[in-house]
Amino acid sequence: MGDMWILFPVLWRVFARLVRYLRRGIFLVPVAAIGMALFGVRPWTVAMVLLALFLALWRPVIAAALLPLTMVVAGISGLVVAATQPGSSFWSVSALGVIRRRLISGPPRRHPATAIVGQLTGQGRKVVVTRPGPVGVPSRAARAAAGPQVNWYPGPNARAVAIPAGPGPRIRIEAPAGAPWQMLAGHGKETFHITTGGGPWPGGLLVPLALLLLTLGLWLLPRSAPALRTHAAGLLSSLRRRMLENRWGILLIPVALAGLTVFGVHLWTVAAVLVSIVMAARWPVTAADLVPVALTAFAVRGFMIAASWPSLPGLLERPGVLYGLIMVTTRQTAMLAGAEASAFLVMAAWLVPRTIGAHAHAMLVPGRALELEGRVQRLTETRDLAVDAAATELRRIERDLHDGAQARLVALGMNLRAVERMLPGRPEAALALVAEARETSLRALNDLRDLVRGICPPVLADRGLGHAVRALALDTPFPVDLDIDLPGRLSAPVESACYFAVAEALANAVRHSGARQVHVRMQHAGGLLRVQVADDGAGGADPARGTGLLGVEQRLAAFDGILAVSSPPGGPTMIAMEVPCALSSPKTCSC
Amino acid sequence: VRVVVAEDLFLLRDGLTRLLTAHGFEIAAAVDSAPGLLCALLEQRPDVAVVDVRLPPSFADDGLQAALAARQQVPGLPVLLLSQYVEQLYARELLADQSGAVGYLLKDRVFNDDQFVDAIRTVAAGGTVMDPDVVTKLLGRRARDEPVTRLSAREREVLALMAEGRSNVAIAQRLFVTEKAVSKHTTSIFTKLGLAASEDDNRRVLAVLAYLNA
Repeated sequence: MGDMWILFPVLWRVFARLVRYLRRGIFLVPVAAIGMALFGVRPWTVAMVLLALFLALWRPVIAAALLPLTMVVAGISGLVVAATQPGSSFWSVSALGVIRRRLISGPPRRHPATAIVGQLTGQGRKVVVTRPGPVGVPSRAARAAAGPQVNWYPGPNARAVAIPAGPGPRIRIEAPAGAPWQMLAGHGKETFHITTGGGPWPGGLLVPLALLLLTLGLWLLPRSAPALRTHAAGLLSSLRRRMLENRWGILLIPVALAGLTVFGVHLWTVAAVLVSIVMAARWPVTAADLVPVALTAFAVRGFMIAASWPSLPGLLERPGVLYGLIMVTTRQTAMLAGAEASAFLVMAAWLVPRTIGAHAHAMLVPGRALELEGRVQRLTETRDLAVDAAATELRRIERDLHDGAQARLVALGMNLRAVERMLPGRPEAALALVAEARETSLRALNDLRDLVRGICPPVLADRGLGHAVRALALDTPFPVDLDIDLPGRLSAPVESACYFAVAEALANAVRHSGARQVHVRMQHAGGLLRVQVADDGAGGADPARGTGLLGVEQRLAAFDGILAVSSPPGGPTMIAMEVPCALSSPKTCSC
Repeated sequence: VRVVVAEDLFLLRDGLTRLLTAHGFEIAAAVDSAPGLLCALLEQRPDVAVVDVRLPPSFADDGLQAALAARQQVPGLPVLLLSQYVEQLYARELLADQSGAVGYLLKDRVFNDDQFVDAIRTVAAGGTVMDPDVVTKLLGRRARDEPVTRLSAREREVLALMAEGRSNVAIAQRLFVTEKAVSKHTTSIFTKLGLAASEDDNRRVLAVLAYLNA
């Protein structure tokens, strides 16, 4: 236990690394949480916090870049809330108090979680709580519960409860935090008033905090501006690329946003928007498939609204419903909503063959896309290898020429020059030099011959693969059993690759395996050249070790050829190659 | 001795013609393509043909093919092939009809004109001349082969020189032994390779073939 202290540096390291990784980005979360404190726990504030957390963990750099901007927005929001919140002592004494009063007397106000409308004196007073805009339809429930007239709009999330105790009817109105409301009657000179439950932000604390955030944000903003611009540019270009890659997946985002107007702003619709952004970015194919599904769901909702709208024109008891572009309040607008739903359905039907249909087709036709993808990858790899191999080969040829024939020709020239000088005075010495020059020219020829043999063996060029392998077998210092069935010529590059493959296999058998007998089998059938080289040697050949067989494998891969080696320790060794290639008809002798 | 020369490069053809004329050969024809060679061989019936393996029209082994075609119609027509490369495969094909009078040399051998001219004369006389390169490879390759393993090291040396087209006298000079010793070796070689006593030249060809036809 005494060694436990060793853990502390480790823990500190981990912590330090975590902080370094997250950097300033993690502060995005508390700043986003301010929104929750300002506007209450609502779907969109929760979504903002989740988004901030997601960004801070996944893309800390972007989160850090966004931090100052978020601080500025939070600061401004805080000031706005402070300005619109009743009972803020700061504002009442400030010069902005006038503005505040104007704001308060203006239509939209937000109130905290619970507002209690105080005592209503007198009968028949009217309290109207409404959204901005036209005065809504009186709720039957509210009317029944409260003695006085309460107009209540919109309905389902708010409740009006009558509290019968006391001298007059008291109404307690409960509404979700932040629901806009308006008093139309009983305002001012009447005796009832509204008490607010009081938010978590006493005006005195909110304003300095908001100002601090705003100042900090504005101070940091210029520093993060370039990073923000870079990220925005990166995001735009990546979006454009994704649009090009998958035309329909990106549609899920606007469709999910439209879902906010179709199903209303709820926790799940906001979550759907976030999910759609992630899906469009990470799984564009699935996202594209979801677009027609979502559109169909919209259409179903629209038809339900249109069908369930009461046909009796006089009964105005339902709250209006927003459906897409249309606010459904009457039968006529319900019909319009039905038309809109039909449009959604048509769009869905148009998209199905382009998304789900196409993808299902791709899946049913066995792995076509996957196959192509694999092929593209394979072609890229083999092309790189082929280019590398060609460059290496050229370098080798250049080196061989430089060190071999070229050097010998230089020596030859020098010898001849010496002969030129010696000839008048010392003809015997000159004669010896001439003999030497002749030797040098022979060696130069030998070098060139070896080089050409390495590039393109003469028999291969003259007669093709079958004969070239026969010639190869003749040069091998032990018996090679040949079984060659090649009634024509292959393309020159394939011939060359296969020739050097067999040459490598035979050379390995000679050098490493101690084989006594080698069998080479070569046949072309069904557009496929099959070559097998088997020896009875010691085995243990491994293409991963050594460059010989690996090079052969890479060279064959350029023609979609494959190489398989079976060489257990103790032997025997079997090397099999398969190369898809066409066989041309044999050349006929012209004479 | 009448010679047909087949070589597509003008400089080489000209050089060969001059060299041969200088050594007392008569040039019956100097051609530059395989069809031309075939025609010349069949019409002129020369004593020997000096042929480049690679010739027009296809610049593959057209020269060899034309020579083989001519030898099919005129068995034993002496042909000496010249090439930038010596291939055992081609050597085997030349020797396959077992009638001798063939040669196969690297073009470099022209540098040593005495040996080259000797080689032409050997082929013209019905002998077999193989390039030392071919022979060297054969000696390496045949190390494990049955009939040849029975030969002693000295006998193999003699056989190699025989394959290069040298006479017993030449072999004796080369190995610094008496001609009698060489003839003892050759008899031993023929016995070990199971070649029945017959005309000496033919047996020499067959001995070389013992190398080439495993």
